[in-house]
Amino acid sequence: MSDTHLPRKVAIVPCSGIGKTYGSVSREAAYDVTEDLRPEKTQLVSLAMLVLGDETACAALAGAPAVTIDGCKLACATKMVQESGGTVTKDYAVLEVYRRYKQFKPQGIAELNEGGQQLARALAEEIVAVVDSTLAGSGGEKNG
Amino acid sequence: MPNFLETTIDKFIFKVVDDRFYTPAGLWALAEGNRIRIGLSDFQQQRSGDVAFAEIKPVGTQLAYDDEVAVIETIKVNISLGSPVTGSVVEINSAMTDAPEVINQDPYGIGWMAVIEAADWEADRPCLMDPQTYFTHMKSLAQEELNKG
Repeated sequence: MSDTHLPRKVAIVPCSGIGKTYGSVSREAAYDVTEDLRPEKTQLVSLAMLVLGDETACAALAGAPAVTIDGCKLACATKMVQESGGTVTKDYAVLEVYRRYKQFKPQGIAELNEGGQQLARALAEEIVAVVDSTLAGSGGEKNG
Repeated sequence: MPNFLETTIDKFIFKVVDDRFYTPAGLWALAEGNRIRIGLSDFQQQRSGDVAFAEIKPVGTQLAYDDEVAVIETIKVNISLGSPVTGSVVEINSAMTDAPEVINQDPYGIGWMAVIEAADWEADRPCLMDPQTYFTHMKSLAQEELNKG
């Protein structure tokens, strides 16, 4: 049976900043979504590969909705998806997410503390809601 | 109309507005009669990073010079800020609760933090740095940061 009528997977594009706590939170949340919570509906797209113009990474954005997770106000993930021709359904900034979950204070870089992991999980659950509503045809929020 | 002292260090531009006084820790104090408006210097906000939360002592709090008037939590650090003046907190910028990022966006303007009714401004003022002195101090700190790599 052909699956060509099925909607594309939602691309999840986290920050690629190494050595920054908020970048680590963004990636942890992306892994939670793509490997644990919604592996069948999402795919992880490497920001670094988009920067390099990798064909596979760019193809993952073509015709597919994207959720970006930026670790700082430079918003590299969001800008790079837009420059690569992708459609950003929802852009998250980890700082804004943290303001909503003040009890989860992230610390650590290579290994996040418990607060960081909880913040990543909370963010992942928000993303899951966006993924589900997007694939159900009601997406389109911005600035999270 | 205030002017700015400005310097570029590495890729960063730092500004010091010349109509107010400064603490070595980077709080500014602008006298409006006996009321002293306070906020974070441009250098200190850039050095500290994006502000996540700003907690200011509530209206009515009595402060001695250098008592903690605010705690700022940024993506990098938590910093406790000492009051540049002895007096009573009479006003807090509501944006500190709702949108503390204004500290980063406009540190000398809408990013002000609080207003303190001074007990004796003339006595406290000599403890503060004038703009030129703070400018020199700030450049020294910025150079130290740069040398750390």
